[in-house]
Amino acid sequence: MIELRNVTFNYRQTTSASKESGLKNISLTIRQGECVLLCGESGCGKTTLARLINGLIPHFYEGELSGEVRVDGKRLPDLPLYETAGVIGTVFQDPRSQFFNVDTASEIAFGPENLGLSEAEITSRVEKVAREMRIEHLLGRSIFKLSGGQKQKIACASVAALCPDIYVLDEPSSNLDMAAMTDLRQHIALWRSQKKTIIVAEHRLHYLRGLCDRVIYMRAGRIEQTFTWEELEALPLQKRTSMGLRVLSLDELKLSPSGTVAPLTDTLEFSDFVYTYKRGEKALDIPSISLPRGAVIAVVGLNGAGKSTFARCLCGLNKHFRGTLTLAGQRLRNGARRRQCFMVMQDVNHQLFTESVLDEVLLGMKKEDKAAAEAILDSMDLLDLEEAHPMSLSGGEKQRVAIATATASAREIIVFDEPTSGLDYTHMRSVASNLARLQEMGKTLFAITHDPELIMACCTHAITIDRGKAQNVLALDGVGRQAILAFFLRKEGERDAVRG
Amino acid sequence: MRMELLRGGYAEQTLRLDPRIKMLMVVTVSVILTAGGYGGLMTYIRPALAVLPLLLLLLSKRWAASLLYILCFGLAYFGEYFLLSRTYGVVNFILLASFSLFTRFMPGLMMGYFLVSTTTVSEFMAAMRRMHVTEKIAIPLSVMFRFFPTVREEYSAIGDAMRMRGVVLAGGKPLKMLEYRFVPMMICSLKIGEELSTAALTRGLGAPVKRTNICSIGFRAQDIVLLLLCLASLGVYIQWLFVH
Repeated sequence: MIELRNVTFNYRQTTSASKESGLKNISLTIRQGECVLLCGESGCGKTTLARLINGLIPHFYEGELSGEVRVDGKRLPDLPLYETAGVIGTVFQDPRSQFFNVDTASEIAFGPENLGLSEAEITSRVEKVAREMRIEHLLGRSIFKLSGGQKQKIACASVAALCPDIYVLDEPSSNLDMAAMTDLRQHIALWRSQKKTIIVAEHRLHYLRGLCDRVIYMRAGRIEQTFTWEELEALPLQKRTSMGLRVLSLDELKLSPSGTVAPLTDTLEFSDFVYTYKRGEKALDIPSISLPRGAVIAVVGLNGAGKSTFARCLCGLNKHFRGTLTLAGQRLRNGARRRQCFMVMQDVNHQLFTESVLDEVLLGMKKEDKAAAEAILDSMDLLDLEEAHPMSLSGGEKQRVAIATATASAREIIVFDEPTSGLDYTHMRSVASNLARLQEMGKTLFAITHDPELIMACCTHAITIDRGKAQNVLALDGVGRQAILAFFLRKEGERDAVRG
Repeated sequence: MRMELLRGGYAEQTLRLDPRIKMLMVVTVSVILTAGGYGGLMTYIRPALAVLPLLLLLLSKRWAASLLYILCFGLAYFGEYFLLSRTYGVVNFILLASFSLFTRFMPGLMMGYFLVSTTTVSEFMAAMRRMHVTEKIAIPLSVMFRFFPTVREEYSAIGDAMRMRGVVLAGGKPLKMLEYRFVPMMICSLKIGEELSTAALTRGLGAPVKRTNICSIGFRAQDIVLLLLCLASLGVYIQWLFVH
């Protein structure tokens, strides 16, 4: 049993965690075997609450903590992390940075090794966990060769190998595709059937349907309201979106209003978009395709289907790639496409280089023109921040700075790589409105995404990619929208994603 | 059933060496090649130690690294022998500086790369424990070990971003280029370091118990041979130090 009584916490401002909100006067009791969902807008304090329950607060993230935090009657702040490691397990958001070993089996054994269990015990635990979670085929593989979804499975298994009573999951689905989310759901269901206590902090909610006993809605560091899933579902959709919550099932998206798609006559002609890895595997196999110019095109498919390869080839980032794109009668090869296309990366920190937002925009211009740069910043609501250091901005602001640099360098094609992973409803909407704004400026946009809500909110077309091949190009009018939703629902049901 | 899978570090399948020997080789190669001179037995020791990392890289099938090493080291070595005696003045000095930078530091670097790329964190922790290194040093070092490959991924992503922005050779402003590359690098590294640490700590790294290791480390025949080679080289080096 987890008991929190009158807990108040404030981060010390020096850590990178300072963007998370603190907690104000939280009192909460979670029974053994209960599954609790923590939700609310970004920065509402749900991650902080999760960190309090797994002991990272106060042992890793420091700050002022008052009130009582007890697990099975023991005061958590008095127990060092290694003592709680066998009781409380945590799955984190980014599967890339949770690993300590290069091979999967050692990774699962890592926790039990740290606790000094016997070799025989560790071996039997690894086997048991692998069997229960159906990941035997992943044992003995190199971690660097796994897809994001497979990595997250190994992360779950390596926590399960410690046999904790309490599982804390901090936005575990942020980087997952539909199939991997279904697997994650099954892991949670398994732990639930084992009567484990489960606490999930999440933005994407629909995959948790039917698993949660209680939903805790937080705002500004407080528990605002507590629901059962059914009570939350009974609220009108509009009310939930105004609370910043994502849909509770993909079926709800069927109700979203569908517009007509304005006919676009101009096209982008792709030819020879074929890319082969050194090992000889074909990562991308699109001999020719024609897509509408000036559209917002969703690129969908499972992890490892070739979406990222498509985007990298489009942006001219893959050396030795021979494909061409014909735009307004001009055939663009790698180098020319690199000047005409721009990718807003998933981790936007990779692409901000300078000391102020204004410098960032000026850097992209052929000829530095301060007035023009400020006009662009104004159009992206960034003018107030022109002197700010890009790294001091919020995630959404950073993304807008990256967009501003793309417009400053007069790129016609802008590719977004997973622009809404880990975003709440409100921030997802603002990304959607940025995309719409760019479309009005005459840009052609590509959004690589696993997020059907984003697609419904702003995309005009969709291309589905499977095993490197382009399957369908859909105009997202009434019929197209139903088709793409059906695609997501179907993929949700398909297990075992293609390897990436 | 899968004991061999559980035991085998994935990184290293063709040539298994004890991590302690690898560390000793890094120390031996870098000390002798950077600080050691020429003359006497050193004439034989130096080339032998320079070839050692190449042999190990080839045996562990690191083809790209081997080729890079052969090219860089070979060119610099060739230059030292043939160009230095034919040039004078400033040119001679610049050539000397750049060639000896390669011939002196590169073998040590490649040895370090061999250590990092073929040793799993588990093996490293086991080696640290056998050498009775305190956890206060062993844990940060093991996090660093895991950190390098991840940082390399970040590095290439930042490189892509720079090419996309067209700031590859920013009008001959090398300092700016360095800044553009390293500012995002630092930010991302901080974040990764934080995430790696939390993932490790919540899984009990640093518990004051004897850590189990399902990977076995220990000296085999090949380790003994390399140990003797290192000791002999260091012996010759110390003798050389006394003479000079």
